[in-house]
Amino acid sequence: MNRSGAKIVMEALVREGVDTIFGYPGGVVLPLYDEMLNWPQVRHVLVRHEQCAAHMADGYARATGKVGVCLATSGPGATNLVTGIATAIMDGIPMVAITGNVNSWAIGKDAFQETDIQGITIPITKHNYLVTDINELPQVLAEAFYLANSGRKGPVLVDIPKDVFTAMSEAPFPDTIVRRGYKPAGAPARAEIEVAARLISEAQRPVIIAGAGILHAQAMAELLYLAETTKIPVINSLLGLGSFPRDHELSLGMMGMHGEAAGTLAVQEADLVIGLGNRFDDRLTGNTGGFAPKAKILHFDLDPSEIGKTVNPVAWVLGDLKLSLGELNKLIQPSEHPAWMAQIRVWQTQFPLIVPEGRFPTRTVLKGLNDVTHGNAIVATDVGQHQMWTAQFYKMKKPMSWLSSGGLGTMGYGFPAAMGAKFARPDEEVWAVVGDGGFQMTLQELQTAVEYNCNVKICLINNGFLGMVRQWQELFYDNRHSHVAMGSPDFCKLADAYGVKFFRCSRLEDLEATLKGASDHVGPVLCEFVVEMEENVFPMVGPGATNSALVMDPDLIPSEEAHQLGAFETTHAGAVKS
Amino acid sequence: MSAKHHTITALVQNEAGTINRLVSLFRRRGFSLASFNAGDCEDPGFSRLTFIVDGDDATISQCLKQLDKLIDVVECEDLPKESSVQRELALIRVEPTEDQRQSLYNIVNEFIARTPRSTPTCVVVEQVADVYDIERLIEALRPFNITEIVRTGVVAMKVEG
Repeated sequence: MNRSGAKIVMEALVREGVDTIFGYPGGVVLPLYDEMLNWPQVRHVLVRHEQCAAHMADGYARATGKVGVCLATSGPGATNLVTGIATAIMDGIPMVAITGNVNSWAIGKDAFQETDIQGITIPITKHNYLVTDINELPQVLAEAFYLANSGRKGPVLVDIPKDVFTAMSEAPFPDTIVRRGYKPAGAPARAEIEVAARLISEAQRPVIIAGAGILHAQAMAELLYLAETTKIPVINSLLGLGSFPRDHELSLGMMGMHGEAAGTLAVQEADLVIGLGNRFDDRLTGNTGGFAPKAKILHFDLDPSEIGKTVNPVAWVLGDLKLSLGELNKLIQPSEHPAWMAQIRVWQTQFPLIVPEGRFPTRTVLKGLNDVTHGNAIVATDVGQHQMWTAQFYKMKKPMSWLSSGGLGTMGYGFPAAMGAKFARPDEEVWAVVGDGGFQMTLQELQTAVEYNCNVKICLINNGFLGMVRQWQELFYDNRHSHVAMGSPDFCKLADAYGVKFFRCSRLEDLEATLKGASDHVGPVLCEFVVEMEENVFPMVGPGATNSALVMDPDLIPSEEAHQLGAFETTHAGAVKS
Repeated sequence: MSAKHHTITALVQNEAGTINRLVSLFRRRGFSLASFNAGDCEDPGFSRLTFIVDGDDATISQCLKQLDKLIDVVECEDLPKESSVQRELALIRVEPTEDQRQSLYNIVNEFIARTPRSTPTCVVVEQVADVYDIERLIEALRPFNITEIVRTGVVAMKVEG
């Protein structure tokens, strides 16, 4: 049937099962916006800034595993998507970004609102397209969705000139997608699985580092079986949180720069580190020269380029993680590591995460959030101290309920991502944990939340600082504060201006009532927590340091055994100040 | 492991932006690209590229994996010299003095090069050879007042498919 490019785009969305898209209109996408009125089955959420359209699409994708779709016009509309697309590629989030461009005959002439968004996004997309022939549009759109959500997932951008939206074509959508250059990972090689099983059976002090790949592959059950059968403790990367139950006796929580001490120390003492769908990034490994110095590394991933990128595994298994772990689980034998687990329990006892009493630090708020929601809410964060504390204290019970910009570290991500999740899963309680810095980057979406009655709870941590930057200035720049004090508007008046329910809490006594009040309110809520201004995140591995040089919380008085342990260079915060 | 030249060839599906995407990969991941060449190949819609890349074995391995990860790239490999033919075309314009002309042609003959065009003031020397021979020829031509050098970069092919 002969139909316009704009209609082909809408057909593609419906074919792919897209129920919600996030966008902002403009000159060259007018034909698409006009066509959209004929397709009530696709809800369009009108954002207030295109960056947030991308973050909402990202949040939608993380909360569902489906492709998130964002839409922008040419020029500034397209470039405003860039931060959101870069956020998605770093964390492997399935996204299709559709941009309009100037008429194809005007491309290259510096036309009004022209920008080379394909060129700009080459390094931050899994793949991208500029469609200048209407007859290719159905194929390109089908490919874009397929690429975005298969293999290692990621954002795909499709740039469509205005005249392609209005041109007519009878070209059909393809039944199957075949690209000679694209072979998403499938079943693992038998030989690799056998080596992996042997290494696991020989290990005395094994640990698993479970990354986001477990969630992308939906391999949570396989991971649980592996861990419980072999009694191997499981540590999560920041983005792997949710892939293994935090309340499981084998869970050691998160590791890395601000990970829990027991997990980080366990990796340093382990004889086998099993990386499952993680990418051994620098915030997890610390200085790779001193990472897991006693361990053989066994790496499972679907992306060959991750093998040996930052650390050197002795063996690896390439393939879809669900299939790989399924095969591995057929070969493993039940085992126990009592001495090893006893050692880990000692570390857990010696170096717990602590929440100071009698004060009102951020940790109190986030522990309170965990208590009030029982870990059942979907939580999105911004980036910085509050992000690390949320990762430490929010014990999410369910997978696909943790949204955080781990790779790119995008401030301003949390609130729009939470909205994307809420649009995708309206029956779930959704919280955005943000700081006073990051929230001021994307707070204009309060209006979007109000218009769509997007029932997101914003837990705004206001300490008057860019907290993590201030912490680094304190620890590594002689406490010289350079442009980290952050003024804020009166958030009560701000909420009032937008018509958003507001709570403010500055004392421990009001915490539970505030959180419950916010939780119970139907509609968007801004909850400001005025907390201690200068609080630091611990444990901490300093920049460039190895994970053995873990700096513990100065409020943590080590027991006599901790001094005797002597195995680590573990220090207290004072040591790094000098 | 010390850095050395590697010859990487890639078969790619040609679309808008493909060459940009491939070359961009080298820049953004810090791979040292000495030369590259792209051209049509036996499959319509596909191109074959040859990259000369400097790096140790781990770097080259990572470079191959990153290339292979691109959707456009159908296949890529690091070609060993001994099992491949590697050639480059160079055009070298020299402006010899009248007295030097005969010895210039002697050198051209000795290297089995060609002189597709010449004028009373200049001679364009053309050579197709491996990189080592081209560089030897360039050194031999230095006394003849080289005014421009144009090189294609290496193209390479496996001896057996």
